[in-house]
Amino acid sequence: MNWTEKYRARSIVEIVGNEEAKEKLYRYIHSWKEHDKSGVLIYGPAGVGKTASVYAIANDMGYHVIELNASDFRSAEQVYKKLEGVVGGYTLDSFLGGRRMRPLLFFDEVDGMDPREDTGGLKALIDIASRRYTPVVAAANFIDPVKHKELIQSFEVIEFKSLTPRQILVILNRIVLREGLDIDRDVLVKIAERSRGDARLAINLLYSVHMGSDIEAISNPLENLPIDILLRRLSAQSDISEIRRLLESNPQHWKDVLYVYFDSIVRSPVMRDDRRERLMKYVSLLDLMLGSIESRGAYFYMKYIPHILSWIVYQANRWGAIYDGRIPEYRFYMFISNRKVREEMEEVFNDLQGNLHESIRKFFVYSLPTFVSLNRNKYPSLHRWVERVFGGVT
Amino acid sequence: MDVMRIKYGEPFRIPRRLGDLFRDVVRIDGVEYVRGKGFIVRDYYAMVNLNKILMRMGLTLAPTVNCVMCGASIECDKCEYTDVCRKEVTLCICGNCAYSPNSFERYRDVAKSIYLNRRL
Repeated sequence: MNWTEKYRARSIVEIVGNEEAKEKLYRYIHSWKEHDKSGVLIYGPAGVGKTASVYAIANDMGYHVIELNASDFRSAEQVYKKLEGVVGGYTLDSFLGGRRMRPLLFFDEVDGMDPREDTGGLKALIDIASRRYTPVVAAANFIDPVKHKELIQSFEVIEFKSLTPRQILVILNRIVLREGLDIDRDVLVKIAERSRGDARLAINLLYSVHMGSDIEAISNPLENLPIDILLRRLSAQSDISEIRRLLESNPQHWKDVLYVYFDSIVRSPVMRDDRRERLMKYVSLLDLMLGSIESRGAYFYMKYIPHILSWIVYQANRWGAIYDGRIPEYRFYMFISNRKVREEMEEVFNDLQGNLHESIRKFFVYSLPTFVSLNRNKYPSLHRWVERVFGGVT
Repeated sequence: MDVMRIKYGEPFRIPRRLGDLFRDVVRIDGVEYVRGKGFIVRDYYAMVNLNKILMRMGLTLAPTVNCVMCGASIECDKCEYTDVCRKEVTLCICGNCAYSPNSFERYRDVAKSIYLNRRL
């Protein structure tokens, strides 16, 4: 049995981390009838315990979870048909299970729904929740304040956050003890570091190590950071060699970092004008270099870029440039919200990327779309996603 | 340099002499002002940005979070995972508790006592 399934929490007390969010969710489900909001929307990155919390709380309180995925409720008709006999009554499953349990409706991946594209699915979800027959929980990785405005207004919104490496370590310790594994503490520490706050990934990594994979083969935790995380780390760093290390590990984001720092330097409320002017000279020099690389293939500039960029970041941080969390442009792979697509993507990534010996960026931009196109029957969801994002690869 | 220890999500006041900085401080993403209570910092990164402004006036804020298991104070800056952690939490686990061999069982016991006290 898969370890993520085997060690799925049976009770809320077995879920590590996100204490405040869990408590809010618990309170909502406990007294949903008296609550002024008709449902609860939980959101946060993958592997932080959103679904596990819903199932664990339901188990603690004697609810029977009826789960629907975004693909099940594209249209209002589909939703009502699926839930016929559930809302307002008890489920057949509950009767067959021998215990008369109350149903709890759980709509997963609601960020995959778009009221402009779907035919009333999201509205049906809000409508069912407003009838207050049973507690309704919706889950998402990201919420869009515009797209999901109606949902946010009528639902209580609870954010789940990434776990810290120490919280992950506690989760891993449980499995190590139960399975009687002989794994060094250093290896566990590395898994905790490399899982980036995702407990599911950490458990899968532990399983890989248990099956004989080398932990060193798993990528460095500083490499391939999402742009928002990289920018946050850079803005909090006061050591220039650490800044250079972060930049050298993430060359795919140099241009974005430069644009964001340009913005932060210009808008800093505390930076002296002479310092601002000095920094802008180097920003424009670097912009010219990056432009030359792109337009003329002047790759000899590459070796200077991390040095100059790290100096800009270091001095801008010291002199009061403030990064306010904005990102210059969306990175496609950061925003895959559908679980099926994500799982297929992880499968392709694990099988293929290591064997191709090419950069992550090249893999995502060229190899992955081509491979998925050729294997569209095996990866149908990912193929549809690639078609939509890249406009079709033949 | 004065050092002020603060906790995420809990209000604090900055010295009156720094009142001129009010507008710049409330503009920082993750910093809120609650009338009558003071400023609230939501996360580590908001704290870093806030320090960039306050340090100019001789004040540094030092963030601490509590260990959910034993209640000890944890300083994110001194944690061995400071480079790889996203630091989005207001409660964490201290080194002693995280590295103890039966950490999960202890966590579960603490969680049980919390939820039992509040009716689970």
